[in-house]
Amino acid sequence: MTSRTIATKTAAIPAIAQPPIERSEGSEPSGSISRRRLLTASGALLTAATLGIGGGLITPSRVRAQSSGAGPKARVVVVGGGYGGAIAAKYLKLAEPDIRVTLIERNPRYVSCPLSNEVLSGERDLDSLTFDYRGLSRRGVAIMGDEIVAIDPDAHQIRGAGGARYNYDKLILSPGVSLDFAAIEGMSAELADTQIPHAWKAGPQTALLRKQMQAMPDGGVVAIVAPPNPFRCPPGPYERAAQMAMYFKHHKPKSKILILDAKDAFSKQGLFQAGWREHYGDMIEWVSAAGGGAIEAIDAKSRTLSGAVEDFEADVINLIPHQRAAQLAVDAGLTDDSGWCPVNQQTFESLLAADIHIIGDAAIAGAMPKSGYAANSQGKVCAAAVAAAINGEAPPATSYVNTCYSILAHNHGISVAGVYELKDGNIVSVPGAGGLSPADADARTRAMEAEYAIGWFRNITSDMFT
Amino acid sequence: MFAARCRSSIRLLSPALFLACLLAVPAAWGGGVRSADMLAHTCAGCHGTGGASAGAAMPTIGGMEKIYLVNVLMDYKKGLRSSTIMGRIMRGYSEQEIAAIASWLADRPWVSTDRPVDGSLAHRGELIHQEFCETCHGDGGRGQDSKSPRLAGQWAPYIRYTLESCRAKGLSCKTRQGAERVLDLDDADIDALAHYYESQK
Repeated sequence: MTSRTIATKTAAIPAIAQPPIERSEGSEPSGSISRRRLLTASGALLTAATLGIGGGLITPSRVRAQSSGAGPKARVVVVGGGYGGAIAAKYLKLAEPDIRVTLIERNPRYVSCPLSNEVLSGERDLDSLTFDYRGLSRRGVAIMGDEIVAIDPDAHQIRGAGGARYNYDKLILSPGVSLDFAAIEGMSAELADTQIPHAWKAGPQTALLRKQMQAMPDGGVVAIVAPPNPFRCPPGPYERAAQMAMYFKHHKPKSKILILDAKDAFSKQGLFQAGWREHYGDMIEWVSAAGGGAIEAIDAKSRTLSGAVEDFEADVINLIPHQRAAQLAVDAGLTDDSGWCPVNQQTFESLLAADIHIIGDAAIAGAMPKSGYAANSQGKVCAAAVAAAINGEAPPATSYVNTCYSILAHNHGISVAGVYELKDGNIVSVPGAGGLSPADADARTRAMEAEYAIGWFRNITSDMFT
Repeated sequence: MFAARCRSSIRLLSPALFLACLLAVPAAWGGGVRSADMLAHTCAGCHGTGGASAGAAMPTIGGMEKIYLVNVLMDYKKGLRSSTIMGRIMRGYSEQEIAAIASWLADRPWVSTDRPVDGSLAHRGELIHQEFCETCHGDGGRGQDSKSPRLAGQWAPYIRYTLESCRAKGLSCKTRQGAERVLDLDDADIDALAHYYESQK
């Protein structure tokens, strides 16, 4: 039924549907605006009082004091304590206890994006996605609460928002993505915080979106605006639609979920569309870019989204902005024209600055998607490469894996897996390995995959934080 | 080190694996031989650091018997053991890499689950264990060899799913001795048995 609707729309849309997509993907002017905004946001200084982590705050001067005497083998600073950075710090310490590893993270606690769509359905709360850094502290990683605002590659020094300076021999950045609000006219960071949540970094906006769904009348419309490639968590918007539908099915069954997409295809598409139909009938409708789904502008007051051909009105709008590497990486000159960080895909060392490694969503990592598991895998490869470099050894031969689960209903999980190798300097899929859950899987397999999604979360977060 | 691994494999492993060792081409991956650390660390995202699972559907695999692991992983690779995702993943590794992963995991300490288990359920499971399972899964499921994995301290949900799958599969489930016994168990038996094994550390 959904496909019929889309087909009708496709037929009605002439070729003009295409140019706006290209324009929005490469729209450079937007960059400077969101950069200013983000710099303002990054100016918010964390006070020491909010940083009661583990065995207490280690100040830069205390770290320096510890280095007198025998001295560490090398100083490695990891910036960003998420799926990539926490793992890089831990596995570096496991491989080489004599290396001093400092993890700098602006938030005292980490809230996981993976599984945060379940907050929208009401299956879990944000607390269940929240972790602290005591486990890493116990492993000998120095945890520093600070927001890094500048990198000086020549001096091998980075600077915190409050002026603290940290010296490194090797720097590992796992900074994540920045959101390009200006790519859609009328959108802003302020709107995202107050009225039009993206909820693409789990936290207050996830809670706000949930509240808006709860306040919406039965029969209302939620619009999810899905971004162009590449972006964090390719199956995320489509799992989100299913999780929203899970809530509406039981509480507001006349409601509709409209996915307005900047793309003409998406991750696990066939599995998602079959699952949506199976569990939620025609509640979820996907509008491709060619079908007029690419959104160019928003009027927040009237909750109207403007596409190339038609406008869409909604009661709740979840606009997931276009993305590129985190602002810190952009400002430090570590990104190329694509907005992402080119790296040596064997070591994750920047191609633009020596002794700076970039992992996770911010990095260009060949065939690997921007996912939590990919960041985990890259963190381990990077840690091994950094340890080898410090020991004067050649970088090790590499192995990478990705696994992404999506939960469509209580007993319905699907997955995509990838096994990767390095070929001619690029990360490529190992032929014959990986792929999707079968389209014709039985109910038991679907139920098992939903269980595995939860087990995956427990294990990958335990790998990060214990 | 690579040669040493193959030498030990010659003694312990299948002729196919022996052949794979002889034919190993280290440069095949473009970056030389991938270390056991490098290969096995990718498992931790789903099976926990060092293969010690944080639960509950994923099994703990660190500290399991090496040849058992090789056989299971090779069966996944060849499609001889049913799975949701492990087949897709193991097809990405060569036979010698699977041997390296298995060795690495076997060298980790076994870490039992740390949650409390329902005592009366576990007791019921113990009786079933003594009657049907102790011959192969000796010492309350602590014993292990190339055909019988360690069960003591394993996650009960994982054991339950596995036994249910085995029962659904019937006599073709490996091993046949195990399958014959599992066919006689009802859901409550399986649940009790799973809790008994998790209670044994």
